[in-house]
Amino acid sequence: MTTGLDYDGLASVFRAAAANVRSGVDRLCELDCATGDGDHGVAMGRAMDALEKGIDQCSTTSIQTMLEGVAESVESIDAGSTGPLMGSLMEGIAESVGDATRIDTRLLATIFEAGLDELLVISKAKVGDKTMVDALIPAVEALKVAAAGGESVADALAKAADAAEAGAEKTKQFQARFGRARNLGERSIGHQDPGATSMAMFFRGMAEGAASRENS
Amino acid sequence: MPMKKFINAPENLTVELLEGFAEAYKKQVKLEGKTVVRATPKSDDKVALVTLGGAGHEPALSGCVGQGSLDASVVGDIFAAPGAPAVVAALEATKRDAGTLLIILNHAGDVLSGEKAFNKAVKAGINVQKILTHEDISAGKDAPLEDRRGLVGCVVLYKIAGAAAEAGKSLDEVVAIAERFNENMRTLIVGAVPATHPANGASLGELADDEMEVGMGQHGEGGGGVMKLASADETARIMLDKILNTMEVNSGDKLFVMINGCGATTLMEQCIVLRAVKNLLEAKGIELVRSMVGEFLTVQEMGGFQMCVAKMDDELIALFDAPCDTPAYTVK
Repeated sequence: MTTGLDYDGLASVFRAAAANVRSGVDRLCELDCATGDGDHGVAMGRAMDALEKGIDQCSTTSIQTMLEGVAESVESIDAGSTGPLMGSLMEGIAESVGDATRIDTRLLATIFEAGLDELLVISKAKVGDKTMVDALIPAVEALKVAAAGGESVADALAKAADAAEAGAEKTKQFQARFGRARNLGERSIGHQDPGATSMAMFFRGMAEGAASRENS
Repeated sequence: MPMKKFINAPENLTVELLEGFAEAYKKQVKLEGKTVVRATPKSDDKVALVTLGGAGHEPALSGCVGQGSLDASVVGDIFAAPGAPAVVAALEATKRDAGTLLIILNHAGDVLSGEKAFNKAVKAGINVQKILTHEDISAGKDAPLEDRRGLVGCVVLYKIAGAAAEAGKSLDEVVAIAERFNENMRTLIVGAVPATHPANGASLGELADDEMEVGMGQHGEGGGGVMKLASADETARIMLDKILNTMEVNSGDKLFVMINGCGATTLMEQCIVLRAVKNLLEAKGIELVRSMVGEFLTVQEMGGFQMCVAKMDDELIALFDAPCDTPAYTVK
C-alpha cells in the first residue's frame, strides 16, 4: 500500500477513525466532566456518525465529492464547538484534495495541513492552549516529516497518531484558554483536554485502519 | 450516576422538549425543524431578531420568541450550540429588506456557529448584522472577551431590541439600541448546588454542602470565588458590590435589576434577594427603576441565581415597558 489510499481505502481509514473515537465516548465524557460540561464524548460520537453518514451518502467515486459530503454532514451536527471545528477541518481537507484519485503520504500531509489552516480560520487556539489543536498540529507536522522521508501512508499515520497522543498527554500541564474550561483558570491544570484526546483517538483509528489494509 | 428525572431516551431530549414546548405555547410559537419561530410572523417591513443556543435552559432562549421580542431561536442540543447550517437556514427564512439582527451569546460553540453562519449569510447577500452578549463580570469588566460569557442578560436585550424593531426602527437603530444596553448590563452568577447533565447524569461542578461560588458559569463551570454559604442579604451585598464596582453609577441614576433563578432556587428566595438589592441601592441613593424576578434562563436543577444589573435611560425604560407576548415574559 505504499502507493497510497484510493477511494475505498480512504473511506475505510475514516471509518476506522470513527470506530476508534466511538469506542472512547465514555472516557471523553469523563474527561470533559472535569473541566467542561461532560458532553464531549457525545458530541464526538455524533460527529463520527455524521462523518460515516457523509461517506454512506456519497453516490460517486470522487474522493473530493465524498469529502465535501463528509464536511457538510459534520458541520450540521448540533453539538457546540465540535461541529464547526471538525466541520472546518474536513472542509479544508475536501477543498485541497482536488481531483486526486489516490492519496499518497505527500498528499495526505498536504490535505491535513489545509484542514488545520481552515480550522484555524475560526479558532484562535495555539499549541499550549489546551484544545484539539495540541494534538492536531503535532500530528500534521509528523505527516509532513513522514512525507519528506518517503514513508508509507500507514507508517505516516502511525507516527501522526504517536505525535497526537503525546500532544494530548502534554495538555495536562496546560491551563485552558478556550471553551468552558477557560473559566477554571489554574484549576484546569492536571486534567487532560478531551478535545486533544479525541483528536489523538481519531488519528490512532486512521493509523490502525491503514495498517490493517496494508496487512490484508 | 442515577438521575431522578422524568425523561425518555437521552438522545431524544431536545426534540421531545421542543415538541412539548411548541404545543404548550402554540399561540405564541411554532416549531420548524429545531428552530422555534413566532406563530404569527412579524411584518416584513420590520427588523427581524434571530438567536442561537443550546437547550436545557428553559424557558430560555426559545421562550423569548414572540411578539415584541425574538423572531427565531435556533436550538442545538442540551447545552450545545446548533451547527452553522441551521442558523443560515433561519437567517434565510427571516430574510427581509429591513434586515435581521443575529444575537450571539459569548460561549465557544455559539460564537463558532454564529460567526460561520453570519459570514455565509453576508456572502449570500442577506442584510444582517450581529451582536455578541458578554455581560459576565466574574473575571472583571476589562477581562479578555473570552472570559466574559453571555448570561441571562440576553433575555432583556431581546426584549429591548424587539421593542425597537416592533416600533419600526431601522436595523442600524436597533443595533445601536441593543449595543447600548449590551454595554450597560452586567451579570454575576452565584451557584449553590451544581446541576446534572440531563443526558449523561454528569455533575456539572463541585461544591461542598456549606459552600457557594460567586462567579460560577452558566453551566456550573468554575471561575469565581468559592466561599462559605451566606444569607440572602449578605450574598446580595457581595454580588451587587462586585457588579457596581465595574459600573459608573452615581446617586440619582436609574438601574434595572433581574434576579434569575437557576432552577432549584425558589421564587421565595429570589424575592428576598431582590428586596435586599432594593435596600442596598436605596442606601446609595440609586433608583431601582425596573426589575424582573423568576426563572428565565435555568440550568436544570442548579441551585443559585443570576443577578443582572443595567443602567437605564428613558428610551431603554420605554422599550422595556413596551408590550410583548412570549412564553417566558409578557407585557400588556
